[in-house]
Amino acid sequence: MEQIKNGILDYLKDNSFMERGTVLRDSDSLTQNGIIDSIGLLELIDYICETYSIEIPEDMLTPENFDSLQGITDLITRLAK
Amino acid sequence: MSKLACKKCVLNSDIPGIEINEESGLCHFCETYVPLSSKEREQYLNRIEELFKEYSGRGNYDVIFALSGGKDSSYTLYKLKKDYPFLKVLAVQFDNGFTSDYAVVNAKKMCEITGCDYFKLTMETEVLYELFRKAAESYDAFPKFAKYRASDICNICISVIKQKLLEQAIVQNAPFVVFAFTAGQSPNPIINLSANFIQWSRNLFEKQLQKIGVDDRDEQFLIKNEVIKNIGEVAPSILHPLCLWEYSEDKVIETVMELGWKAPDLNDSNSTNCTLNSFACHNHLEKYGFHPYAFDIAGLVRSGEMSREEGLEKLHQELSQPLIEEAAEKLEIKINHS
Ligand SMILES: [Zn+2]
Repeated sequence: MEQIKNGILDYLKDNSFMERGTVLRDSDSLTQNGIIDSIGLLELIDYICETYSIEIPEDMLTPENFDSLQGITDLITRLAK
Repeated sequence: MSKLACKKCVLNSDIPGIEINEESGLCHFCETYVPLSSKEREQYLNRIEELFKEYSGRGNYDVIFALSGGKDSSYTLYKLKKDYPFLKVLAVQFDNGFTSDYAVVNAKKMCEITGCDYFKLTMETEVLYELFRKAAESYDAFPKFAKYRASDICNICISVIKQKLLEQAIVQNAPFVVFAFTAGQSPNPIINLSANFIQWSRNLFEKQLQKIGVDDRDEQFLIKNEVIKNIGEVAPSILHPLCLWEYSEDKVIETVMELGWKAPDLNDSNSTNCTLNSFACHNHLEKYGFHPYAFDIAGLVRSGEMSREEGLEKLHQELSQPLIEEAAEKLEIKINHS
């Protein structure tokens, strides 16, 4: 779990979605905190599918699953089995 | 700290958020950059062909195509129809109130040559001017990464295009929306959407508009909620085939000019179709201190689509003062003369 979370966090920092020093809590909204918008989301989703070799069913492309570190981590854990 | 420039691309440590590794001499984008291999490209192209074959012929159109009339989109439309002649394409040109006459002539010409339908999407000039004025006057309205990709004005414009083309795809029951982004601009060739996701990104853009002070109650810039409700079983997918094809600016220009595409006499090295672009760059530079094309050009250089010298030259070229002034006047914005 921690590993996935840190992987996503590194991706967000490496790709200039957020400053290196930013503190982001697990449940913070990525969109409401101005880290990601609709175009950035597409890139993030693509990155997740590639990196974790998962296919995300369409009905799972929801804010609950993608708008926070916790949501994303849970989703990947569930799908990457 | 003295300024460090990336050895590979055109980014440097003066741009906020860019770090150059002193040991490798590379920016963190170049350090982690992994290009698509030719095998991966081939796989993606095969996948796209399969998708075209599987889903074409179902709706009024197979493809809604974003045609700016510039060289890249003109070329992409031509090659798309050459490689997949069976596709029924509706090319949509968004006239943002600053589309050059050349771009309109070129777009229509390309549609004629390729046998595609042409549709000019436009809105009242005042509405558009107001939108871009608000974008120009906004500060930090976009996420950090979006600010790096393009100017605030371009971000707003491209978002409107995405919204309205997706809307058109749903209305026409077309399974694909195709954009002519290069590998430097968009590394993802196939993007599958869902109704949920389309709704979500629409709402995100609505908030974005509100943030810059635009209340789009009539859904002029947004996908209409009414339309989203009618998404059929399959939501449209977005395709970026140009990032899978071999690309060089010279080859692209040569190909389209042979077809009768006319090079514009706009004095803007980064846009051959939009007379607002110089102002948008000027506005971004003033607000944030770096060129909005820096990342775009860095991507092209990194992927080998443009030489580093050429990239640096583009970034250091002076913006056209007459174009800036003309746009500022239309938007009723005062500019600082430097
Ligand atoms: Zn670099």
